[in-house]
Amino acid sequence: MSRSDVLVDAEWVEAHHGDDGVVLVEVDEDTSAYDKGHIADAVKIDWKTDLQDPVRRDFVDKAGFEALLSARGIANDDTVVLYGGNNNWFAAYAYWYFKLYGHHDVKLLDGGRKKWELESRELVTDVPKRAATSYTAQQQDSSIRAFRDEAVAAIGKLNLVDVRSPDEFAGRLLAPAHLPQEQAQRGGHIPTAKNVPWSKAAAEDGSFKSDDALRALYRDEAGVDFGKDTIAYCRIGERSAHTWFVLHELLGQPNVKNYDGSWTEYGSLVGVPIAVGDAS
Amino acid sequence: MTSDGCGAPAGGAVATDAGHQAIVQGRVTRGGSAVPTGYARLLDSGGDFVAEVPLGEDGGFRFFAAPGTWTLRILAPGGVRAERAVAADIGQVTELEVAV
Repeated sequence: MSRSDVLVDAEWVEAHHGDDGVVLVEVDEDTSAYDKGHIADAVKIDWKTDLQDPVRRDFVDKAGFEALLSARGIANDDTVVLYGGNNNWFAAYAYWYFKLYGHHDVKLLDGGRKKWELESRELVTDVPKRAATSYTAQQQDSSIRAFRDEAVAAIGKLNLVDVRSPDEFAGRLLAPAHLPQEQAQRGGHIPTAKNVPWSKAAAEDGSFKSDDALRALYRDEAGVDFGKDTIAYCRIGERSAHTWFVLHELLGQPNVKNYDGSWTEYGSLVGVPIAVGDAS
Repeated sequence: MTSDGCGAPAGGAVATDAGHQAIVQGRVTRGGSAVPTGYARLLDSGGDFVAEVPLGEDGGFRFFAAPGTWTLRILAPGGVRAERAVAADIGQVTELEVAV
């Protein structure tokens, strides 16, 4: 796996516009962004209503994912190119999610919607019509998804990478600074976690930094041991999907899991250890 | 937008009672008109990224910060960049208009 296998740039998207077997997918939490304008022929997936179970806190099951992709006209052997707002957080989350259900060929548009917009590239409002498919998903790949007991068991043993902002890590904020601070759970971080905010992996235009810069960031500056397995987490698992993409897909670290329960689950668990204060 | 998600809605989340919040908000204009396509980034006193929202249709942005001194950076198409220093405090709404 190398960078060119998993990342494409705007020129690639424009050159492959209309190709059979290439499906562009915008993934946002706020789907009004897609409705106001999207890259030509992109279909949309809503991070929440399409990918989360409406009752339990969990993902849609295998049959639900199959129904979703079939309805969007995505086939098993299609190349899926994901992009979105928020510096590709939700697109990276969808990338991880597509991998969880075994889709083979998935790529991210580097820089996502922001870089595309800042470069004044074309956005359209026409919604494409794609013929439905009969998509078959795999069972979830448990090698890339961590649950709470694994997070607790990893304390002091595996790399835990907390990708939230320093104020969230320290316990001073319970959510990112663009959202109201109204959470009820405890603040802080999982003991022994390193704090490497997701934003340090991205340039200002939302594109990923070079492999050398990323390696230096995690291994040399933050002290992540590349010889050990890693669990990444944030607040609800999408910023850490961005970091999972960096560690697993760009840097080729073999055993990296995204803990999608993240701080909204961990910080509400009874009896688990919590550390507060800034990274040392 | 509620905080069960984590994304940044265009223009920033709807303001709640400022009583518990340190709100930094405002609007980006060019020649007196709103700039609806662009991004507002909040950086901490060390210059590190804290948060970002896409500008709203009216060029608006809003952050829920912690008390302290911040840098607001605006990015817009055409290589437009602007920066302002801004102070935030609990219970206060700090309002600014940024002309680019």
